Amino acid sequence: MSLFLHYLSMPYLLEGIELTLEVTALGLGGGLILGLILAGMQLSRFWLLAAIARAYTVIFRGTPLILQMVFAYDALPHIGIKLPAVLAAGLALACNEAPFIAEMLRAGVLGVDRGQVTAGQALGMTPSVLMRRVIAPQAIRTMIPAFGNEAVSALKNSSLASVVAVQELTLRSTQLASSTFDFFSIFFASGLLYLVLTFAISIIQLFVEWLLDLDRAKDGKKGRERKLADYLPWRRVDLATQLEPAGVTIPDPVQAELTDTPPLALTREERTRRAVTIARNNIAVETKDLTKSYGTQKVLGGLDLTVRIGEVVALLGPSGSGKSTLLRCINHLESWDGGTVRVGGRRLGFDDDGKLLSPRAIANERATVGVGMVFQQFNLFAHLSAKENIAGPLRWVHGMTRIDADRRAAELLERVGLTHRADALPRHLSGGQQQRVAIARALAPNPSVLLLDEPTSALDPELVNEVLEVIRRLAIDDGLTMIISTHQIRFADEVADRVAFLSGGSIIEEGPAHEVLTNPRNPLTARFLSVMEADKTPEAVR
Amino acid sequence: MERRVLSQTHRGMARESLPSRKLALGALIAFGALAAAPLSAQAAAPAACAALQEKYPDWKGKTLVNAINPHTPGYETIDPKDPNKYIGFDIDIGEAIGECLGFKLTYKPVTFAALLTTLAAGQADIVISDIYATKERAKAADFITYSKVFDGVLVAKGNPKGINGINMSMCGAAAAENTGYVEVPLIQALMPECKKAGKPEPTVQLYDNNANCIQAILAGRADTYVNDVNTVDSAVKAYPDKLEKAIAVTIPYSVGIAVPKDKPKFRDAVLAALIEVQKAGTHMELLKKHGLDVNNFKEPDILTAD
Repeated sequence: MSLFLHYLSMPYLLEGIELTLEVTALGLGGGLILGLILAGMQLSRFWLLAAIARAYTVIFRGTPLILQMVFAYDALPHIGIKLPAVLAAGLALACNEAPFIAEMLRAGVLGVDRGQVTAGQALGMTPSVLMRRVIAPQAIRTMIPAFGNEAVSALKNSSLASVVAVQELTLRSTQLASSTFDFFSIFFASGLLYLVLTFAISIIQLFVEWLLDLDRAKDGKKGRERKLADYLPWRRVDLATQLEPAGVTIPDPVQAELTDTPPLALTREERTRRAVTIARNNIAVETKDLTKSYGTQKVLGGLDLTVRIGEVVALLGPSGSGKSTLLRCINHLESWDGGTVRVGGRRLGFDDDGKLLSPRAIANERATVGVGMVFQQFNLFAHLSAKENIAGPLRWVHGMTRIDADRRAAELLERVGLTHRADALPRHLSGGQQQRVAIARALAPNPSVLLLDEPTSALDPELVNEVLEVIRRLAIDDGLTMIISTHQIRFADEVADRVAFLSGGSIIEEGPAHEVLTNPRNPLTARFLSVMEADKTPEAVR
Repeated sequence: MERRVLSQTHRGMARESLPSRKLALGALIAFGALAAAPLSAQAAAPAACAALQEKYPDWKGKTLVNAINPHTPGYETIDPKDPNKYIGFDIDIGEAIGECLGFKLTYKPVTFAALLTTLAAGQADIVISDIYATKERAKAADFITYSKVFDGVLVAKGNPKGINGINMSMCGAAAAENTGYVEVPLIQALMPECKKAGKPEPTVQLYDNNANCIQAILAGRADTYVNDVNTVDSAVKAYPDKLEKAIAVTIPYSVGIAVPKDKPKFRDAVLAALIEVQKAGTHMELLKKHGLDVNNFKEPDILTAD
């Protein structure tokens, strides 16, 4: 025991820790930099970069670290690169860690909900803004445990630097054992030193997890704050459900307000007057002969649609009829095979010669032309509060100051009746509240056109009305140009100026909303409408 | 607890075996003459060394890197009292050569198998680490031989397998060896012979340092470890209750200082300096200082691949 303590406190071994940490730090730091580059290459749209990164991964993940150490130390000098031992070991460790870290990064990035990425694109975020503001903050949170793992493994792997004469802890231990024959005392002591180091890494990992925990209430206003102690292994806090959204129990003032309002449906005269005005307006969105196929399956088959400023068009039709694809083509979230799309007279995503722009340029154009989009699955940025979901993109895309962006966000939250939920995270909001925030977010930059892709389909029936009410006001009070794909026939009748019925990627019938819906000419339309009405019946009876 | 008592016994034994410890224990008077001897001997040939420094000026005032496998007590290990230093016969003779040619040495500890690759990669300038000079190894480096080789056969106390050398008595035994040791092919050469005699073949377990080979016998994993007789002796002194030396065998090699193949001038300078060091009596004094057999002494030769 006394021998063990003697070696445990021996300065010679303790000094070895310094080199162990140096090699580990070089390996992890270098590995992170290399890993970032590798992950970037693998996720790149240029296939050659991806292929090079793949080849690197295969080689460095597939060969033992000990060989890489010896290579960096003994082979590189033959081509004129003679690194000091610590650097050679650090380089080998970094090269070895890089593919593992790259895969972690890639998993983190790919793990971020695709819907949020699409929402960011629709808001006009360039790929780099999207990465920095939406993907990275969420990916990093999910990667911390894996990174902690990697740090521990790098620390232990640094012991292999002993084969290239780095005087780190393991090499010092073996030399000491050879000269004193106190084999076990020495290795127990150095084993304990390694344990202390890896324990320290675990503590740092838990601290960072706690620091980045979105539920760690920053203002202490609501819920119970999650303490660092909750991360101790013997604590059984259910990290997913314990901090139940407070919002569920808070009465929603807007709900009451909305149901009190008399139906805003227009009278027949008002409709006629609107139609006359709209007919004189300029064209807001125009698609001509739009075609698109996925492989052999045709999604859009020569689709023509014209929407004038101030007009509200409802797209109806069975699932798979091309409604969503059409909307996504309008703001160029998706490419198409033939035909043209013009928004505000411009071909979004193409330069004057009709050449396709880079993703970055398309993003900028989306922001200038102003096409807002609302999604079926809301697609709010999960790591941002309701207010930040609205204010953030205004700052990052439109260059607003924080004060202006916050003011605009507050204004819009008030309009959708969610002022009291401004600081809540999306996952603490009900579906209806989330969709209202999403609408506010889409409206924030004052878009010229708002595209709504089945905005109520993912909602529980009792939450549908609050969202429809918000949309109805936008149409009637604000005169906003909107294209809505929906299954809500009655809503379409009340709000839309025109409905277009899609089937198999073409419009098979279109016309004034009330006329088409009450008196369809195409048998397909008629059948679809009668099925939808039949579905409605139980609710109507109730 | 048992281990603690044991270890301390070992330490005691090790202390007795190492002259440096005796010095520390106050046996300075007895060894005073010996310790002083190299210095006075060195002083006896300053003129010859000065002439060598004039003839080979390239290394004067330089600090060279000596790659060693510091797991061989008596030849090269770290100093248990000051682990930042290396001690042993090879360390002292290297520094005597350096002193004669006017260079200093720093040390780079590597595994035995990596000694010559480290030299070839230019990560070291010289290797003085109880390495046997063979034709095979001379393909990777030039050698200046300086010591004869006597090997000892280390076995567990009582020699339960009755091993008495690298011969048929080793059939069916497990031999622990260091990766890259010359004993490895010698034991491997036994395999077909044992087979021919209808006996089980010997097996070789490869470790990366001396201490691990000794531990293999202590743990009962290996039956024998054949290595330099002085190394075997120090292991027996450290674990007198558990180990013994079966026999000393002669191996047809010499120990050599390895230098890069592409630096014949350096090789010649080291050879000339070693001759001076031997002439001054330093070589012999160092053998005695480190408790090594004086019969190891050998006049230097050059061994190259061609």
